[in-house]
Amino acid sequence: MSLRIMPKSLLKTWIKHLQSRHFKVVGPTERFGQYVFEEIHSADELVMDYPTSVLPPKKYLLPPRERLFTFNAKTMEMQPDIQAVPTVILGVHTCDMHAVAMLDKVNNTGYADQHYKARREATYLVSVECLTPCMEGSFCKSMGTLTVPENYDLHFTDLGSDYAVEVGSEKGAALLEGCSAFWEPSEADYARVDAVIGAKWQHFPYRLECDVTELPDLLALSQKSPLWDELGERCLACGMCTKVCPTCYCFDVTDEIDLNLEHGERIRQWDSCQIEKFAVVAGGHNFRSSRALRQRHRFMRKGKYQYEAFGLMGCVGCGRCAASCLVHITPVDTFNALHRLRQAAQNGSAAENTASNQEVQA
Amino acid sequence: MTTLLNETLKESIYMPTPARITAVKTFTPTEKFFKIALPSGFSLAHRPGQFVEVSVFGVGEAPISICSAPSRSNGTFEMCVRAVGKLTDALHRLAAGSTIAIRGPFGRGFPIERFRGKDIIFVAGGLGLAPLRSLIDEVINDRGKFGRIHLLYGTRTPQDILFAEDLVAWANAPRTEVHITVDRPDEAWKGNVGVITKLFPKLRFHARNTVAIIVGPPVMYKFVLMELLGKGIADGNIWLSFERQMKCAVGKCGHCQLHHIYTCQDGPAFSYAQVKHLEEAFS
Amino acid sequence: MSAKTLPRIAFFEFTSCEGCQLTVVDTLQDHPELLNAVEIVQFREAMSERGDNYQIAFIEGSCTRPSDEAKLKEIRAKAQIVVALGACAHLGGVNAIRNRMALPEVREYVYGEKAAWFETYPARPIEAVIKVDASLPGCPIDRNEFAMAVTHLLQGRLPNLPDYPLCIECKLLENVCMYQRGKTCLGPITRAGCAAICPSYGDGCEGCRGLIPKPNWAAMKAVLREHGMTDAEIDSRLTMFLTYQTMQLEAKAAEG
Repeated sequence: MSLRIMPKSLLKTWIKHLQSRHFKVVGPTERFGQYVFEEIHSADELVMDYPTSVLPPKKYLLPPRERLFTFNAKTMEMQPDIQAVPTVILGVHTCDMHAVAMLDKVNNTGYADQHYKARREATYLVSVECLTPCMEGSFCKSMGTLTVPENYDLHFTDLGSDYAVEVGSEKGAALLEGCSAFWEPSEADYARVDAVIGAKWQHFPYRLECDVTELPDLLALSQKSPLWDELGERCLACGMCTKVCPTCYCFDVTDEIDLNLEHGERIRQWDSCQIEKFAVVAGGHNFRSSRALRQRHRFMRKGKYQYEAFGLMGCVGCGRCAASCLVHITPVDTFNALHRLRQAAQNGSAAENTASNQEVQA
Repeated sequence: MTTLLNETLKESIYMPTPARITAVKTFTPTEKFFKIALPSGFSLAHRPGQFVEVSVFGVGEAPISICSAPSRSNGTFEMCVRAVGKLTDALHRLAAGSTIAIRGPFGRGFPIERFRGKDIIFVAGGLGLAPLRSLIDEVINDRGKFGRIHLLYGTRTPQDILFAEDLVAWANAPRTEVHITVDRPDEAWKGNVGVITKLFPKLRFHARNTVAIIVGPPVMYKFVLMELLGKGIADGNIWLSFERQMKCAVGKCGHCQLHHIYTCQDGPAFSYAQVKHLEEAFS
Repeated sequence: MSAKTLPRIAFFEFTSCEGCQLTVVDTLQDHPELLNAVEIVQFREAMSERGDNYQIAFIEGSCTRPSDEAKLKEIRAKAQIVVALGACAHLGGVNAIRNRMALPEVREYVYGEKAAWFETYPARPIEAVIKVDASLPGCPIDRNEFAMAVTHLLQGRLPNLPDYPLCIECKLLENVCMYQRGKTCLGPITRAGCAAICPSYGDGCEGCRGLIPKPNWAAMKAVLREHGMTDAEIDSRLTMFLTYQTMQLEAKAAEG
């Protein structure tokens, strides 16, 4: 790993340089007061200090809707559709970088997903150090995602007039090749980076009332919690929480075919475990027939199941689901409520024990 | 000779291989039996209890369990399909000679080597006999390596009985008993009537040396498990197969997730010991 | 496939604006191959010939008077498959707004002193009168969905259309939520399949495609209230396309 310094005024030059090398360059842009990752045509469109995006950059690795292969239903010929457009994603927050690590793990466990792999290999991740909390619902510090994981190609830290650019991989180094915008750092530059990163932590609150490492056990003990029924009462089952989540990867697969019933394609599209039919089997049995059970499944995946299956937390604390939920169901409130219920139950039984001990003594 | 799975994994794990329907038999008004031939040079090389993803292009794809024994498959395999959805309805409209497409086989089947030397109780409800048939035939084909065999099979009516010829053949195999019960008999029915657990008093077995394998609708499991556990069969010696919605069969689409388990790749065959603590496993 | 074996389809209209059939004409311009796939024997919107030998009947419009019922039953008797075309046929549509009002007053308001000349009764979806095999929702229908439905029928199966909420589809398009733009929207309880056309152009969903299978009614109303709507405004929002469905739900709730 090595450090470079780029004056902010040269960001434009670098983006042009990347585009001239036929990279597709995407980054956060403004849309109706929110921000979305979109292809950047000029550096002016880019908002590097955006709070959060509607959809996470996941959409470039696992598109909302994707053709898996084309087929001819008459001749039975098939052609896989594997896309690998070299794409540079600028301005990825550290929570979303942790989410990419999760997607990498899922798609390379068991039989690897070639469609994902091809896109991922052609994708260059340029992350950015978060210096202030992006919104109320985010809780990255509690989830341990406020530091970038080691999967970045380049990592930017805003030093005021300059960016500190850490090179994390050969792919990252390749992005700097032939561009004079990047300078060798001085001793003073290292000190500047340390100062900025050191100063940021105090701005971020811990929002979970328990430690992140306690979540799997807390959830294991909360399978039968009355909280799920309460969430089920409130939940609209609109599925937005799962659409905006950077670690949700569930999908549906459908066929589309032309009116001659000959040429068609197999499509995969993001699905949601919050909708009625997600766990229905042929014949009609629904393994998660209520909104309460589906909310439970969602939070179990975020704080327990995915950790047990892949060794990584299923929630990265980005806060998107909290911001988009119309009935204000949030992971922070849910985990904290479970934690308090658990504590109350323990205190209750401790009190009971004390009471019965006293009886014995009396 | 290469396996179909090698072909499946080559370019895209989601892209199937064409295969031909060589025979179709109508079992019941809702269940048909299909014999499938793989392209020449391919073998399925499956384990009993595994499944394949079956495509009818333009309609979609669905997981279907393999009902033929590996030892009886020579570039072919069989499946018994109930018409209950868009894909299975479409399959029912196809005749011998039609081409479909297959991926797989997927998942973990039953660990047949662990059943050697033991008495075996097979418990099948309705269409659950289809995946079990693959295992039963494999056991019968190697009859000397296993102890006594009991097959308990329950259906709604006598007309719903599947694999009638196989049931006769199994009943005639050495040290093998077949007990069938129906929920609603007709006038001609002279056999057992009632839920499948009513058949248990007929069985004589030594619990410590017995494995039980259960496949049936979700509602059946709880009651059959109670019987088997009550007879002293160990959790690890009870095996079952889970049905879940599956879109990918390779642990990616999330539909079949049960706790940290993906039913498609970690199952669909599980021992009761593996799943007994999982909330929702038997819901 | 020879011309003789093409499925024969016919279009009919009851109380409606015929906008759904116009959308069908539109679809034919996008998908001219449709004309090679089916034989249209009756389609007043686009041709003058009238054939009575059809297998698939597409019916636009709601049933709004007793005399409609006989016509609907006649179509049902002739067709193997009946498809409700659009919100009026599927849900009763805007015609059912009047169902919450006193019918004589409505009739007088519309027809004035000639009110007595016109036969009418509460508007209803055609499914309230005859068996319907499939419904294409929307006001108007979505042209791509119409082409897809015909494709499914050509495959010998009933159309398979989404019944999950609009929010799913809207978010896949990365629309900024209407509620975050200071507007209100029925997306969370409305069936998807329209490519979220209203939110994509900046308007909240009016629910023209009907309710998802198990809408969380109470939660939806609470959300609308929280975003500044009065109960009267909420009722009127839910009246536009959903009067028949909501009255059915209320009747069911009252029963049990």
